[in-house]
This record gives sequence, C-alpha cells and structure tokens, in this order.
Amino acid sequence: MLEIRELTRRFGELTAVDQVSFEVPAGQMTGFVGANGAGKTTTMRMVMGVLGIHGGEVLWQGRPITRLDRRTFGYMPEERGLYPKQPILDQLVYVAQLKGMGRTEARSQVQELLERFGLGDRTKDHLEKLSLGNQQRVQIIASVLPKPAALILDEPFSGLDPLAVDSMVDLLREYTRDDIPVLFSSHQLDLVERLCDRLVVLAQGRRVAAGTVSELRDAGVPRFRLVLGGDAGWVRDHHGLEVLDLDGATALVEVRQTGAEQQLIAEATSRGDVHEFVRVRPALSEIYREAIA
Amino acid sequence: MSTPRPSSPPLRSPEQRHGDPAMSTPRNAQRSPGSSGPAWLLVTRREVVSRITDKSFLLGTALMVAMLVGFIGFTAWQDEKTDTVTLGATPEGLAMARAIADAAPEVDDKVEVTLVELDDQVAAEAALGEDEVDAWLHPVADGWELTSESSEQDSLTDVVRVVVRQQVLAENASASGTTAEALEAGSAVSTDFLRGDAEKAAVAQAVGFVFVFLFYFAALIFGMQLASSVIEEKQSRIVEIIAAAIPLRHLLAGKVLGNTALAVIQLLIYLAVGLVGLSFTPYKSYVPALSGPTVWFIGFFLAGFVALACLWAVAGSLASRTEDLQATSTPLTMLMLAMFFGGVSLDGRGQVIASFVPPVSAVVMPKRILAGGVEWWEPLVALGLLAAFAVVTVWVGERLYRRALLQTGGRVSLRQAWSAAE
Repeated sequence: MLEIRELTRRFGELTAVDQVSFEVPAGQMTGFVGANGAGKTTTMRMVMGVLGIHGGEVLWQGRPITRLDRRTFGYMPEERGLYPKQPILDQLVYVAQLKGMGRTEARSQVQELLERFGLGDRTKDHLEKLSLGNQQRVQIIASVLPKPAALILDEPFSGLDPLAVDSMVDLLREYTRDDIPVLFSSHQLDLVERLCDRLVVLAQGRRVAAGTVSELRDAGVPRFRLVLGGDAGWVRDHHGLEVLDLDGATALVEVRQTGAEQQLIAEATSRGDVHEFVRVRPALSEIYREAIA
Repeated sequence: MSTPRPSSPPLRSPEQRHGDPAMSTPRNAQRSPGSSGPAWLLVTRREVVSRITDKSFLLGTALMVAMLVGFIGFTAWQDEKTDTVTLGATPEGLAMARAIADAAPEVDDKVEVTLVELDDQVAAEAALGEDEVDAWLHPVADGWELTSESSEQDSLTDVVRVVVRQQVLAENASASGTTAEALEAGSAVSTDFLRGDAEKAAVAQAVGFVFVFLFYFAALIFGMQLASSVIEEKQSRIVEIIAAAIPLRHLLAGKVLGNTALAVIQLLIYLAVGLVGLSFTPYKSYVPALSGPTVWFIGFFLAGFVALACLWAVAGSLASRTEDLQATSTPLTMLMLAMFFGGVSLDGRGQVIASFVPPVSAVVMPKRILAGGVEWWEPLVALGLLAAFAVVTVWVGERLYRRALLQTGGRVSLRQAWSAAE
C-alpha cells in the first residue's frame, strides 16, 4: 500500500500541494482528479521523488519510501517522455537497465512486450516515426519495466481514442489483479467513474474528497425520487423534506430529518399508487463539482 | 490501443500466467540494482553509442579528416611547386628582362621566368590584357617599372627587385670606379633566434593555431550537442523517468563523460591524421618535436573540456525548449570566443598570464609549450589550476543542473536554479 501523508509543496509564495493525505491500496485503482493546477502532477512528482517534498511523507508498505523502492515503481510523466530519435528497442532496454535490469534480461523482456503490443517488427524504428497510439504503447511499456511494484501514471488516457482507452484499462486491471496499487490522474470523470475503485479529488492544492466511488456517492444528503399515480403537489407540505424538483407526478426530495423519507412513502401509499420510490445518488461529476466549488 | 490477444494478457510473463503469485509481490519485483553496472556508465554508453551511430556525426568527422588531409596536401604542394611567370619586355628593357630570366632561379628557386619580346607599349598593353604575359618590364624616368594588369605578381616582383638592383648597382659602381661588393660591404642584415629558427617559430605558430582551433571547435560542437541533448531529455520528460530510477548526478556524469570520450576520440583522430600527414610534407623533421606538446595539449584539452561540458549541461538544463538554448548558452558562447581570440592573439606577458588562467589556459599553455622556453613546472601548475577549475564547475554545474532540470514552464534563471529548493 502506498500512503501519502500531509504532503506539502510550495513554489515561492504559492502552496501548490497543501497537506494532502490519501492512500493507494494494493490491488486497487485510485483515480486522481482535479482541475488544472490543482496539484495532481506536483503530488505525483513528489511521490516519485522527482520533486522535493516540503512537508509530510510518503510511506510504502508502512515505512518511509526510499530511492530503491521508487526504482521499482512504474512512472508515466505528464506529456510522456522518451527519446524521439532513438530506436524503440534500444531506449526501452536503456530504461530497463537504468531501473536495474541486466542487459540480456532487459532485451528479451522488451522484445516480448513489444511483440505482445504488435510492435515486434518495428523495434528499430525511431519513436517519432510511430503513430501516437503506438508511441503510447511504447510509453506504457517503459513504465511497466521491469515488473512494477506500483504504478503512478499522470494522465495516461489523454490523447487516446476510445479503443486505446479500453486496451489501457484492460492493462491496468491486470496489474490491480496482481495486487499492485495503481494511481492515475485524469480529467475524464466518466472514465474515472467507470474505472476507479477509489477516488481522490484535489482542489487548489487541498484534498477535498477521498474514498471509494460508492462512499462518495452515498456521502451527501440522501435524495429520493418519488413517482406517483396522481399529482405529487402535496409533497411540498411534507415535514423534514426539501423538494428540489416537482413535475406533475414526479418529485425529487432531499431528506432534512432522519426518517422523513419513511413517513413520505407511508403517506404516499395511503394516498394512492406509488410507481417508483428510489434513492438518487449523484453522478461523480456532480460530486466533483460540489467538492471543488 | 488494442490489446493484441485478449486471451493472453500482454503483461504477464508465462510464469505468472501459470500462477506464481510470488512473482508479482512488490518485494520480488524489486530487482537487485546495478546488475548492468553503475548507472553513470549506462548513460555514458548511451551517449557514445547514440552519437557514434548518428550519420551526421560520422559524416562530420569524415569531412573534417578529408579537409585536414586536403589542407596538408595543399600546403605541401604549394610549398613544392614552381611558379612559372611570363615577363614581357619591349626592346628598351629586353636586356634587363633577359638578365632577370637568367638570374631568377638563383634568387628564388621556385620561380621560373619566361621571356616574351614585345614591340612597343601598345603591344605590351594588349598582351597584358589578353593574359599573354603576366607583367611588362620597362624603364621609366627614375628606374624601372613592372606593369601588370590588375594584381601584383608577388614572387616575380621580388625577383625583379633583386636582379634590377644588382644590375643597376653594378653599373653605377663601375661608373664611379668601384664595385658593387665594395659599396655593399658591411650592410647585410641577417636574422638569428636564440631558440630555434624562423621556420621553427612559424611551424609553432601554425600548430598553435591548430590547437586553439581544435579546442574551440570541439568545445563548441560537443558543448552544443550536450546542451541540446539535455533539453531533449527535459522537454520530452524522459528525465523524470530517469530521475525516478537513478540519481541525477549519475545522469550528468554519464553525459559529460560520454561527450568527453567522444570529443577526445575525435581529437585523437584529427591529431593522428595531422601528424601523419605532416610527416609526408617537407616539415616532417618537426613531427618528433611536436609530439611532446601534442601530449600536453591532449591533457589540457581533457581538463578544459570537462570543465566546459558541465557548464554546457547547465545551459541546457536552464532552457525548457530548444529555442531557449540560444539565450541560455550566450555567456558560454562568449567565453568560447574569448578563449579562441585569446588563444590566437595573446602574446608576451599577456600570454604568460593567460597560460595560467583557466579555462583560457587550456589553449594558451599548449601554445606556449609549442613555442618553447617554458619551465618544466609551468605546464604542471597550469594543468593543476585547470583541473581545480574543472572540479569547481563540476560541483557548481551539478547543483545547478540538478535543480534546473526538473523545473518546467519557461526558462530558469541562474539565480533561480541556484537557490531553488529541490
């Protein structure tokens, strides 16, 4: 498990990351969301030791993280990063060697990965000659070499078409199945919702929400939708509720007093037909908007 | 990106697919570091290999060797060849012209004068205009005149001056009842050097220029290359992947060592070609005398190059895009120019002082060694100072490089880099 504890980073007067704490449990995909400049990249760079830490700490398996630990992490920086004018095989072997693999071992593993990604016949091509999607594949190979202990991916989905996104998702799921913690940042909330086990929301350098997706969706004031056989106007006069929306037979209410929804359903059934009574959980995008507001 | 075979997950090695959970625990994923040798060595190797397999680098080196061979060949040929000039003379100057043609080989053995008889001034000017003759000799009121079309015939002019002077002096002397020898007695001025001779000094001057040029050339070309490869890494963000894997100190060391190795290899090739080439020319007797200073030069080159390479790496790390390099490297380019002009033009006391001041000493001291008259301890002291300077730039450079390299978003000023928190 990767733990981030009260991590802080300042750039001059600006506190880019302000006492941010969260966890990336093993075998779970943790999505890192926030507006531009919220501090996601800065946090990830601190976790990777690429940027100095001004306060707080990063724990790996319960103890302070070391350089050797980080060496086993797979890292994909924002905007990617490999040599544009070097053959892909050579540079992947180089990256693997920097991470401590032997040359022969690195070569065979890279070759194998390239083949599995359909790039087996392009090993001598320069990176810049590949299509963007293929460059992305090379990039992901670079971050998973050698077998990573954790994955820290900054915007891994940006610029990918839907198919490529699916393929990347499959790939990440494989790692979580192997009990590897995966932290990735993204702007695409729908994707995060679909993909993540957990979510961390940053706004202006502070953590404004964190937890599993269902925890977050259940966290707010409960809301219910009621659909009746007849007009629902009477709901307005019901105690302990706030009517958010009323449209003919349909009412959307927020519970102000515990148990008020039970009284509401009792009254509704006594008045006539009830077609629908359901808890409404906000979409992630709503939670996100509320969190960063 | 589509997974090629959904049935076989791309990132599981066969063992894992056969269910060896231990393989995937983080503890086992941590490989023993250093199985490929130290990180700086890996970086060095990449720098050298990626450069040596680069066609433009190979082509540049080959071109330089070809130019060197060509230059040496041309110089040797220029030295050996005989200048053949055609001298035209109208009847009143014919006797003198004949005397010149006869005496030319004695005056300058590389000049051969062919005589062409011309009828009059009109014919002479026509002949000049049509390049039938290179010059026309004719008497004027106070002596003789050598007319050529538009450019002076240097070697011919010298010969004509000497011969005409001898002839006229002899005539004038006999008219005064004496001899030319009697008139000239005691007027000869000859030159002498306490060390070596004129030709040796000229060779030292020329080789000294070559040393300065080679250093300037290598420091600039490899420096620029080093700086732009730093930017390439910074701009493509691969530096973050590298920084997460190895200390940045190793990255810098590897890059500086790789480029130094390349520069020294290239230098050795040039020097070998130069010295071997020289041994095929009339200057071959100087080759043994040049090898000592050349060895010193390689030593100075090495220390000077390392010192500057670190600064070039800093120039690269301060930029965030290739376009910024122009600005961030200006102080260094200025320093290079100062070294070049200092190396070429300083002499006397200025040269002695500069030969101890790093980094200029890297080019000035080898030049002084070439000229001779340097105490045995002087190169040692200069080299020691240069090496100390290199240690300082490596230390300062490492700090600046490390801090500027991971700063993104625009150019980083030196002050920012120095005081930035890591």
